[in-house]
Amino acid sequence: MASLRRWILVGLVGCFALALAYLPPRGATPSERSFFMPQSRRGTPARQRAQALADEWRGADASLRLLRARRELQGLLREARAGTSLVVVSESADVAIPTPPIVDSAIHVAWRQLGLGETKVRVAVIIQLAVATAVHDRPAIEEGIAAYLAPDSTDRTTCIAVLPAGNYWTRVFRGARVSGRLPFDAAVLTLKTGLGPCAFYAAYGTPGKSVRGWLVSRGWDLALTVDAGARGRQGNSPIGMAEARHYSYWEPIYSLPPTAVACIASRPEGCRAAVLAGASDDPAIPFPDIVRIEQRWWRRIPRLVEGQRFLADVADEVGRHRFLRFWTSALPVDTALAAALKRPVGEWTADWERGFVQPIRLGPAAPLGGVVIALTIAVFAIVVVAGTASRRQIR
Amino acid sequence: MSRLLGLVVAASLLASPLHSQDSLMARLRRQSDSLLGSWREAEKLADVADSLEQVRATAGSDTIAVGGLRIVVNPSPLPWRQAAELAWPVIDSLYGSAAEDLPQHPYIFRAVDPDSGVRRAVLHVGVEVPWDLDLRATTTVLLTTVTAPHFDPALANWLGAALRPTLRPQDERAVVFVLLVTAPAEAVRRCFLGDIARCKDVLQVGDSTGLLARWYVTPAEREALVTEAFTDYFARGATAPSLQRCRQHHDDACTTLLQSLPPGTLPRPLPQAAGILLVREALRAGGRDAYRRLVARPSAPIGERLASAAGMDIDSLVVRWRNDVRAARPKPLALPWWASFAAIGWTAFFGFCALRSSRWRL
Repeated sequence: MASLRRWILVGLVGCFALALAYLPPRGATPSERSFFMPQSRRGTPARQRAQALADEWRGADASLRLLRARRELQGLLREARAGTSLVVVSESADVAIPTPPIVDSAIHVAWRQLGLGETKVRVAVIIQLAVATAVHDRPAIEEGIAAYLAPDSTDRTTCIAVLPAGNYWTRVFRGARVSGRLPFDAAVLTLKTGLGPCAFYAAYGTPGKSVRGWLVSRGWDLALTVDAGARGRQGNSPIGMAEARHYSYWEPIYSLPPTAVACIASRPEGCRAAVLAGASDDPAIPFPDIVRIEQRWWRRIPRLVEGQRFLADVADEVGRHRFLRFWTSALPVDTALAAALKRPVGEWTADWERGFVQPIRLGPAAPLGGVVIALTIAVFAIVVVAGTASRRQIR
Repeated sequence: MSRLLGLVVAASLLASPLHSQDSLMARLRRQSDSLLGSWREAEKLADVADSLEQVRATAGSDTIAVGGLRIVVNPSPLPWRQAAELAWPVIDSLYGSAAEDLPQHPYIFRAVDPDSGVRRAVLHVGVEVPWDLDLRATTTVLLTTVTAPHFDPALANWLGAALRPTLRPQDERAVVFVLLVTAPAEAVRRCFLGDIARCKDVLQVGDSTGLLARWYVTPAEREALVTEAFTDYFARGATAPSLQRCRQHHDDACTTLLQSLPPGTLPRPLPQAAGILLVREALRAGGRDAYRRLVARPSAPIGERLASAAGMDIDSLVVRWRNDVRAARPKPLALPWWASFAAIGWTAFFGFCALRSSRWRL
């Protein structure tokens, strides 16, 4: 009976120790104030469907515009200035208008900042400005989906881009005051990104069949900008901007494909799979080769976090000569890329990814505090059992 | 015969790419037209769905009416009524008789538990707020989300912000005082010293021609503006030589460059806060119908609108505004009597320590 009582006592002490370790003291203030994140308003399912149809229409309309531009190519190219391979035209409601000086200046600054001057492949940019008064019979122009027509589908030396400017940029480009200062730098950055695949065509020419097929099958998601820019953990993604202790960090991670998550966890095989998805030995390239790119990063689910600058960073690291060898290579993509990087693709990408996102741990893992408490309890139990056993007397 | 057949075949082969291009365009056009039709139908359906959702989302909610405020809220511990009682006089004093139109724009709030990990229902209507806000924070929510009645784009463009009531008007005046004193533009300095014509220029309520010369009076200001704010913009093509000349202190080049800017892009020498304060002053001077008069003629010049709202000429209004700002001079920092002794004591202490030091050690 006395022995049973002792065990009950030991059990109670153990429970008390556990409660002391895990339960917060009553009335204690939290260590930090909880951060309230209000939901943004979402459209009703019917509204979302209407918006999806509008986006689809915008894509089809942009493709039509590209094909029309292909027919009017000679007229377009007459707008070209000496010393640059960039042609900029503007339109509003399908009517050609003079290009606003801010657009013209900003896109030429962007072109120069990208290190492009007179290039083998010219780029014709059509800026679609929103109309001043609301039109209700068709979806409004939004800076959402940009469309590009590859040089192979035009005259082999011209890449055409259709960039819709939404209400905000239309107001800026038309000179309306939207803030205290002219957001010129932001306009340059937007247009720089807007050049998209055409900037790659201008900088490096038409890629080899395997690289091109790989990029086409992935929607050029690894080559959205030719400008690598500064690296750091403040990228254009919720993961880059948030901290791991916040809910807003984990939600986008759960929405990523498994290979992208594996790459964040610094697993080379995951990185390799994320980068080489879409590569095939017999790539199919459509004709006409129209690429549509969602420019609103918050709507994209990336196959690789910060992947939009992947090839720009590769080019930056390996240098122009080696990058061109990869770009025009007839070898399979993984071989050509590994040869350019002089490292396995997965290992290089895992290192590269660590430059943007703090690596996460995957799989079940007990927290350090929990392990310490469990070991303490285990040692305590062993000591009690050993003590009891040593005092036991056999009669 | 065979030659003719060959020619026909060759012609048809040559024409086939063009034909396929046409058929592709026709296919895309059909697709585009079909999508447009579907979108129009979907929009009508979405309008109906949205109005039904509005009814559904507000069913079972309480409506709190205080003055012209209508607040539709779900049951929660938030002090909506007390907050509305605090907010309404502030809102009413700004919009005056126009505040009677506010019931057309009811607030719809959904209070939620901020500490719960339970996934919240999707929000289609209204604004979400945490239900642990205190009275002051709840009042601020009401003041910062009120819909300014009949606020037109011209006024919004001039103000650069929405015109909303504030709980701390004195702070706003103090901010404008500091702006007037610290703005690097000569025109603003002259305004501060009592040149009302300059005040009208920097507030942009007078003659809008030749703004460059009115806002940036000295050659040094114009040069600084070009070289600091517009370097990238002018550093290419035909404007690059002028930029070089401007950098070499040639005022004619700087002026020409600035005059070539698109209308509306010249930065204001005085930030927007000054304009907002001027509107508040006009509304204060003009009585209960001042706001109605302000928004009555959206196409009129802003100076006329303000004068009409205030019920006085624009010069008198600007004088009032300037006096008001000058009266809000922040209080100079008063040091306690012992602070100077403490400062001298510490100086002596460190001096003593320095003298006692034998030598510098690396």
